[in-house]
Amino acid sequence: MMVKIAPFEQNRRALACLPLLSFCAACLMAQNQGSAGPASGSAIRVTHVLGFESTSNNANGELSIQEHTLRFQKSDGSNAQVGVASIQDLSLGVEDKQVGGTALALGRAATPYGGGRLIGLFSHKKYDTLTVEYLDPNGGLHGAIFQLNKGQGQVPKDELVAEGTHVSNPENQLTKPSTPEAKHGGN
Amino acid sequence: MEAIRRIHSAVFIIAFLSTLVASPPLLLAQAWSVQVDRVDPGDVNIEPAFRIAIYENLLVELAKTKQFKQVFRSGDRNASGPEILILKTTVQKYTPGSETRRAVTTVSGATKLNVRSQLCTRQGQVVVERVVDGNVRFFGGNLRATHNLARNVAQALEKSDLPAPTLAVRESK
Repeated sequence: MMVKIAPFEQNRRALACLPLLSFCAACLMAQNQGSAGPASGSAIRVTHVLGFESTSNNANGELSIQEHTLRFQKSDGSNAQVGVASIQDLSLGVEDKQVGGTALALGRAATPYGGGRLIGLFSHKKYDTLTVEYLDPNGGLHGAIFQLNKGQGQVPKDELVAEGTHVSNPENQLTKPSTPEAKHGGN
Repeated sequence: MEAIRRIHSAVFIIAFLSTLVASPPLLLAQAWSVQVDRVDPGDVNIEPAFRIAIYENLLVELAKTKQFKQVFRSGDRNASGPEILILKTTVQKYTPGSETRRAVTTVSGATKLNVRSQLCTRQGQVVVERVVDGNVRFFGGNLRATHNLARNVAQALEKSDLPAPTLAVRESK
């Protein structure tokens, strides 16, 4: 037996699904753009997560290696730099993050009927993380973490290695995040 | 009128004295400076980004508490003298989480960290030892666990009683 749905009702349902579908499509497109491959030049767009010399956390800018110096230039023009010779260690990692920040997190929480979970399933993106350990002029250890688009982490790493930077575990480079819920117990 | 003024001044003096009595741990601790040692991963397979994030967040959170005179980085040549405690952090457990799993399921995907924090004198005497957790269960990225951990370590150290520098140095000799 066929159930007839009024054309008006059908249109309304289709329209209700439209914003959700367009949002999911936008997220997928954003993911594809992120994995577009490494930049051709030496300056790479990164997000400074924490730890770099006199730079605020979560600042966006460009990371470059010029004249034996690792330089982070913020979008507002100010820059910070450390000498390549002072870099003690370097490592790459991969991180999977939700996109959209607090606004989207609140949007997800407010979406009824578990729709927020469905959005969460699609609104994530993989990043490379570059971790740099270096010494300041007083010998104090600093650590800085940069977040790069997926696939771009190898470029600065190769350039720094070419400049003579020490890498502690070259065979473990670009370590994938460990399997979730796989506990590592020290004791 | 004169009696009321006397009562007011007596209340003020009592309040001031009780504040002084309540704050000796802070005053005593401020006799110390602290040097944050690099995080020891122990037997745990922890990502370098997490190790570094714990170290950097510890420096920030310890400075925020104003418990210590100065907070030095590992290897800092300015960190000299007997009145320096060394903060050693050893990772005991690490459960890598997933932000996407947290967003989708709410109940799983938590990032969990458990560390042993020791405040030692230069001679190696352990002054304070605490086991501290840092987790991220709902909102935020995985690295947020390191921020929560560092805040918990700083709070645990703030609550603990530190000996006077001269006493601790004499005992260790």
